[in-house]
Amino acid sequence: MTPAPHAATATQVYQLYIRASQEEVWDAITNPAIVAKFFHSAQVESTYEVGCKLRTLSPDGSDIWGDNTILECDPPRRLVHTWRSLYDQEQAAEPESRVTWEIEAQPGGFAKLTLVHDRLDASPKTAASVRGWSYILSNLKTVMETGEALPPIR
Amino acid sequence: MVLCVDDEDLVFKALADPTRRLLLDRLFERDGMSLIELEAEVPQLTRFGVMKHLRVLEEAGLVVTRKQGRHKHHYLNSVPIRLIYERWIDKYRDRRAAALLELRDQLEGRR
Repeated sequence: MTPAPHAATATQVYQLYIRASQEEVWDAITNPAIVAKFFHSAQVESTYEVGCKLRTLSPDGSDIWGDNTILECDPPRRLVHTWRSLYDQEQAAEPESRVTWEIEAQPGGFAKLTLVHDRLDASPKTAASVRGWSYILSNLKTVMETGEALPPIR
Repeated sequence: MVLCVDDEDLVFKALADPTRRLLLDRLFERDGMSLIELEAEVPQLTRFGVMKHLRVLEEAGLVVTRKQGRHKHHYLNSVPIRLIYERWIDKYRDRRAAALLELRDQLEGRR
């Protein structure tokens, strides 16, 4: 059965608890050296200022995976940026979507990280592909709690 | 509500119930449903029953709710399942077992 058109269907939500402070999680998602550890060894370039670019490159820097824009930056709580998957031709042709990272401090030395990927209404191929956020985020948790990255996805 | 941090027991208990797995499957097909929409997906349950199951899923972190205007939307959160996969499945997966499963799928015409 084909699902009916549904505004909220164009939204994906991922949430997890990480044994780290709010500031440590903020640092992990905005520090290129740490991002590389949990995001496919990518090279990330950004000053994390609103209106500035957030460029993601392949590990050797030869391919552009993402050329996005920072929409909001409120350390250590909230980071919002555009998303277009340039690593895939079909996805790159789809409209831009949006990624929001929310970090909340929790009792007991934990931080709650919520990632919302929305505005995917007209980007079905991107929507299917970014289901892989659960792998990226569990990788981030592993990196932060043990210092080691998971083996590459098969 | 009890804050559940990293509790694998809650995830396994939540997944142990067929109605809750059905609700997760429905959300996988159509994410972000409201309570009323979810009720329509499982007509065999009362509103109270749906709410009770959603609460268990939410406490396990498998469902995350977000408010948009007057509506509360329910989203499938796949991260706890990913963590269980890495902890309990990926680690023990052996190549021979994977090959046998593939053979079975081929014989049963699943691919």
